Amino acid sequence: MSDEENRPLGLYIHIPFCDRKCDYCDFVSYSMDSKAQQLYLEALFAEIDMVRSEFFDKTFDSIFIGGGTPSIVYEGFIASLARKLYSSFHFLDNTEFTIEVNPSSFTREKFFEYVQAGVNRISVGVQCLDEKLLREHGRIQSMENIEETFKMLNTSQFPNINSDVMIGLPGQTVDSVVDTINYLLKQNVKHISTYTLQVERHTMLYSKLRKGRLSPMKDKTMIEIYNRIDRILTKAGFHRYEISNYAKPGFECKHNLKYWDDGVSYLGLGVAAHSYIDGYRYYNTKRLDTYIDDMKDGKSAVYSREYVSDEERREERIMLSLRTTKGLDLEKFKKDFNEDLLRTHTDVINRFIDKGMVEVKDNFLRIKNAYFAVSNSIIVELI
Amino acid sequence: MNRLEKIRNFCIVAHIDHGKSTLADRLMEYTNTVAKRDLAEQMLDSMDIERERGITIKLTPACMKYNYKGEEYTLNLIDTPGHVDFSYEVSRSLFACEGAILVVDASQGVQAQTLANVYLALDANLEIIPVINKIDLPSADIAGTKKEIEDTIGIPCDDACEISAKTGLNIESVLDAVIKNVPSPKGDEDAPLKALIFDSYYDSYKGAVSLVRIFDGTVKAGDEILFMQTNKSFIVTEVGIFTPNSVEVDRLRAGDVGYIAASIKNVSDTKVGDTITLKNNPVDKPLDGYKEATSVVFCGIFPLDGDKYQELQDALEKLKLNDASLHFSKETSIALGHGFRCGFLGLLHMEIITERLEREFNLEIITTAPSVEYKVYDNKGKVYDVTNPSEMPPMSNIAKMEEPIVKMEIITPKDYLGGIMDLCANRRGVYHDMQYIDANRTKLIYTMPLNEIVYDFFDKIKSISKGYASMDYELAGYQDSQLVKLDILLNGEICDALSIIVHKDKAYQRGRALCERLKTVIPRHLFEIPIQAVIGGKVIARETISAMRKDVLAKCYGGDVTRKRKLLEKQKEGKKRMRRLGSVDLPSEAFVSILKLDD
Repeated sequence: MSDEENRPLGLYIHIPFCDRKCDYCDFVSYSMDSKAQQLYLEALFAEIDMVRSEFFDKTFDSIFIGGGTPSIVYEGFIASLARKLYSSFHFLDNTEFTIEVNPSSFTREKFFEYVQAGVNRISVGVQCLDEKLLREHGRIQSMENIEETFKMLNTSQFPNINSDVMIGLPGQTVDSVVDTINYLLKQNVKHISTYTLQVERHTMLYSKLRKGRLSPMKDKTMIEIYNRIDRILTKAGFHRYEISNYAKPGFECKHNLKYWDDGVSYLGLGVAAHSYIDGYRYYNTKRLDTYIDDMKDGKSAVYSREYVSDEERREERIMLSLRTTKGLDLEKFKKDFNEDLLRTHTDVINRFIDKGMVEVKDNFLRIKNAYFAVSNSIIVELI
Repeated sequence: MNRLEKIRNFCIVAHIDHGKSTLADRLMEYTNTVAKRDLAEQMLDSMDIERERGITIKLTPACMKYNYKGEEYTLNLIDTPGHVDFSYEVSRSLFACEGAILVVDASQGVQAQTLANVYLALDANLEIIPVINKIDLPSADIAGTKKEIEDTIGIPCDDACEISAKTGLNIESVLDAVIKNVPSPKGDEDAPLKALIFDSYYDSYKGAVSLVRIFDGTVKAGDEILFMQTNKSFIVTEVGIFTPNSVEVDRLRAGDVGYIAASIKNVSDTKVGDTITLKNNPVDKPLDGYKEATSVVFCGIFPLDGDKYQELQDALEKLKLNDASLHFSKETSIALGHGFRCGFLGLLHMEIITERLEREFNLEIITTAPSVEYKVYDNKGKVYDVTNPSEMPPMSNIAKMEEPIVKMEIITPKDYLGGIMDLCANRRGVYHDMQYIDANRTKLIYTMPLNEIVYDFFDKIKSISKGYASMDYELAGYQDSQLVKLDILLNGEICDALSIIVHKDKAYQRGRALCERLKTVIPRHLFEIPIQAVIGGKVIARETISAMRKDVLAKCYGGDVTRKRKLLEKQKEGKKRMRRLGSVDLPSEAFVSILKLDD
């Protein structure tokens, strides 16, 4: 797999700060002052210094700063982080550099700072335009902020905007999602991620649902929403390149694509970040104070790692490839795992083909768009 | 005083929970048969399941020495199973005794099973010694209980022992009463050997061991013995008594209770009720009352994991070593694959076997709906014994069918009479009689089809009466019946393991209930699944499981991959545990659901 070892890596940096935690969120985040942010930046620098030598012969072609709320950190944070990265790792010229921003903390000054630092893809956390609904779920965001954010980006003709749209919030209607999508199209976004709300334990939402104060969205509504989104975005020239991601041609997220390709490594830095390097998955500590202390003491941020066995890698290949519209490269699968899936799973695959759920074309197996909604049940039959 | 005059052979008759095992423990403790410190709670119940349920199934006799007025007596306690499934074993155990202690709970009074077993004891001409137990309970009604015994059984209770087996109160009075009132055994130790097998078990060193009561003659190691029913002979390797652990003795003589080991390979050669004699000096004829143990309830047992078929077979063979009344043969089901058709003495027996398979052998199993043995007459007058719905001939070839019926006795406090009578009527019961036991309790007598009680009748009786009613039944032959085979089709294919034989009048209701239940237990698939209940090609009920529209559409980035993969692996593991019929995955609950249909 020497050609795969030479493929450029991705780099992820986690910014664990938020103004306020949204009720549905289970990402690691803290609400902290600029002092804490300063300490965190120093810790990130320390981690970078610790690991950089391991990557001296590797090249990167994507950076993704996610959170938390990366736009909340003080002015200058991102710029100095970027400088540190550039001086520590090798990046290709066409590196995709994404940062997630929340309209409530994204200012003109920060926008200019990011662009100057090399950011060329901005992901605006819109989620939903129904202010009342968002307030109910604890998300601080006003329509005014959103309008300003897009105005700012579009006046400067910023070329690559993504927006996240949340589907399945209790109380959300088909119309409200359609309104959100239409609004985003008008704002010239090139990429839309549609997340289904996952109710995680240890979230406010979980306990609200449990106590019956809210009721979950019906499957029927969710299916209708997905169908509507699919129609609208297809008409607008987007294609669904992964179950939950739509993009205009050429605007697929390079960084995220790495997650779905088991041959590509990525390095994650910061608290609660994770890496996948040469078949191992590494998990950094989830505690901010531990992370800061350990970095000060020169200890590793990794608190656990796992080796992904061949069997697991085989399962991940099937699972992740089939989530993409490109599908599973059967030839490559045969080469890598010494298994002809069409032979080992003839009956199952034929049944799915008969029912119009999957197709085999040009030696790729793919789930048809209309059946992405039941992809788990299809994948489970193949792993 | 001669040897026989110092022997007493007796048993204890009681309803479940009335304290039989506790009393037995106490007697052994008083006679120093077991030291108090060695006394595992309820010594005689040797199987975990029995101990857990507090009911005795398999019996272990105990030989106790007791000093009474300066003479040492040998007291042989033969424990009896308290459940109706084992009434034949009970009758053989009773036959081995001269007396029976009747234990009645002073707070609960006489129960249906007590009555059934007391009648058996009276039939066997045993001297009955009434014992009122649990007199320490605040709810104890000693005088009332005595009157009840006198009224319902007709045994005088003036001198009845009043005890608490739990605290040990007045235990000696029981031992004294046994010696005073139970007749000593009769017999001639010089006559030809005549020994009754009242139980047997398998020992990995000694082989099948017969538990015997010697009526006449003497037996010792080296003798060549003949089993009169099976007509097989063996050389005795060891004889002994139970204290309650087995202890070898040099011989067993008329009047004794003990065991005979003869390197016998199969317990099926040591049939309960058979007579053992000496090959070269046999008795003219065997003891009366021998019966073959016949299976009454049947079901299919399949391994949940098809690969465990061989393990299941090994386990059944091991259980059979000790249980001649368990029958099994290979069965193949389209839905469940390879398994075994098993025959049991009754429902409890079935439950014990399935539980032991799961607990002692760590097997996960699927059992199909219990069935009884139907007699099917075809148009040519040929008779088939059908115990498996899948063996039933096509309806068009059937001239008539018969099903087994039972005589059912239920004793219930009168508050629940209405509910119980409704239940019996609902189960095609035919009312015969109602007798008042006392101001509060009533005995109901019905005849009803066995197939109406094999599912959950006992549970229903218990729940209707909040646990107060008790029941007992005996087989009462066959009667003509309008029976039909009800099949379930899943996605158009017959699921043989869900077929049942049911009375025509109940088929519609059962079919509908089954379809509804299956709809709730079969998970949604990627396609629609019609569930149909069918009789002879005619659909009588239908439900549809609609296709799954959506599973999880969550995002899946770097940190989610492992979690997501594990989730899918778990889902796959879950699927593996299901049975696939055509393209439908059936969870094991689908097969259980057939057992749990409400009326």
